[in-house]
Amino acid sequence: MSRSITLGHYLPGDTVIHRMNPRIKVLVLIIILSMLFAFKSIPGLLTMLLAVLLLFAVARVPFRYLLKGLRPILYIALFALIIFLFFTKGGVVLFRLGSFTVESDGLEEGLFVIIRLVTLVLFSLLLTLTTTPLSLTYGLGYYLKPLGRIGLPAEEVVMIMAISLRFIPTLLEESQRLMRAQVSRGADFESGSILSKAKNLGTLIVPLFVSAFRRADELALAMEARGYRLGAKRTRLQEDLIKMQDWLVLLTTILLLVVVLYMNI
Amino acid sequence: MFIGTDKLTHTYMPGTPFASDALKNISFSLGRGSFTLLIGPSGSGKTTLIQHLNGLLKPTSGKVYFDGKSIGSDKSALLSLRRRIGLVFQMPEDQFFSETVFKEIAYAPRNLGLAENKIEERVFKAVEQVGLRPENLLDRHPFHLSTGQKRLVAFAAVLSIEPEVLILDEPAAGLDPAGKLMLFNLLSRLNRIEEITILVSTHHLDEVAELADNLVVLTGGRLEMAGKARDILARRSELQDLGLALPQVTEIIDELAARGLPVCTDIYSLSAACNEIIRLKRVDQS
Ligand SMILES: Nc1ncnc2c1ncn2[C@@H]1O[C@H](COP(=O)(O)OP(=O)(O)OP(=O)(O)O)[C@@H](O)[C@H]1O
Ligand SMILES: [Mg+2]
Repeated sequence: MSRSITLGHYLPGDTVIHRMNPRIKVLVLIIILSMLFAFKSIPGLLTMLLAVLLLFAVARVPFRYLLKGLRPILYIALFALIIFLFFTKGGVVLFRLGSFTVESDGLEEGLFVIIRLVTLVLFSLLLTLTTTPLSLTYGLGYYLKPLGRIGLPAEEVVMIMAISLRFIPTLLEESQRLMRAQVSRGADFESGSILSKAKNLGTLIVPLFVSAFRRADELALAMEARGYRLGAKRTRLQEDLIKMQDWLVLLTTILLLVVVLYMNI
Repeated sequence: MFIGTDKLTHTYMPGTPFASDALKNISFSLGRGSFTLLIGPSGSGKTTLIQHLNGLLKPTSGKVYFDGKSIGSDKSALLSLRRRIGLVFQMPEDQFFSETVFKEIAYAPRNLGLAENKIEERVFKAVEQVGLRPENLLDRHPFHLSTGQKRLVAFAAVLSIEPEVLILDEPAAGLDPAGKLMLFNLLSRLNRIEEITILVSTHHLDEVAELADNLVVLTGGRLEMAGKARDILARRSELQDLGLALPQVTEIIDELAARGLPVCTDIYSLSAACNEIIRLKRVDQS
């Protein structure tokens, strides 16, 4: 159970999309997201929706992952639709109940917002499904680097993020193991009063902290033994080379953004 | 069948690309009062199998039995099941959370809802069962004990349930050979004197193998062999095909036999090997 949650969304694969440079991927996503906000009409957004669906096919992501990824925004989308139906007036009256009316502009804007939201979520999902959390962190971290000039320790922040990501599954697994162990000693984490539940929680939290601190100590030692120093310049084992096709993808999206902005569709 | 499984299969993370069968079609059974060793290399599914036996994991397919009944998911049935089957996890000292050894061991009986004097009785009994001395131990901080002591305290913390069955997952991991032997002698004693049914998982066959009545051999999630310890230990070539090394002394004795010495090859422990060699010497001299 724990592993399924914690590997984030990453689905291993070896497609063009998986192989793309994470730095470029992040940048392309940012451009696409701004493009989504540049669109002014439903047809434009629909092409983007179609495009992202196509990309999912290219990345060979099973369809149910899309549905799973969209489930959390279901209520937000419905809520947005209702708000627009209620409050945006204009166009033809589609439906009337006493003094309350649903008008075509409301429907149109509601749909517009929902399609934008869905497309946005799908593009982000595509990124997280096809990029390991670690590459993603480095990809994002790259754009934090300039912040080093104003005193933000970007390298260290990225390292902290990467380490946290690395240890979340470990900790979850450990808590699950501990839970089972204490259950075999008669602990009951499901029923009982709040007080007894809180007491029982201690039997998980104490050992978890103990092992987390021990791990942190060991990790710090291991890192220092391998030459990690705060503030030192690091190089990566796997140079993240930006290949020709990465540049091409980036260029194409930039061009698309310009076209969308220029044509004002 | 006292404890056992019937065509038990367990798949971790089913329905995802990470799905993998940790156990494949396992059927075995243990009699009441038996002492069984579950042997398998790392990743063979020992922990997964063991966690099915007290209902911590649910079979993907197949059934798990205890005392003639199939283990279901009814909560109160599971609770009473866990009072009868004590399970000691791998590296059990990682579960400690109390500030004294007493509290640590008293946790399980306290969860049973016993009266304070009964709890105390059980703690003392459990400590003595594992061969520790209660004086100046019970008030100590469990984190301050040695690894071996911690391990014993962790056993006591499960024995205090007074289970009919004791299942231990790699109890000897990280102990030296002497500690390991001591531990298995302890288990053997619990089995004989207290008549507790015991199932122990371990990485490899070594001298403790002959203390057990039965062996169950697991590799890659499959049950490869099960039966009387002596019978299985005698199937040398099959064991070696499975990548399981025999106890070192056994290899030495086999080598002696291969060189034509009239040794009895049914030898799995250092002391038995010594006796056998002394016997040979005597035969030689006379
Ligand atoms: N929570 C889990 N999620 C997914 N796969 C798991 C999980 N726990 C174990 N596995 C996998 O199931 C298989 C059996 O694991 P298990 O822990 O039962 O082996 P083991 O025999 O106890 O090994 P060890 O001697 O290292 O403790 C392994 O391949 C392991 O990777
Ligand atoms: Mg294990």
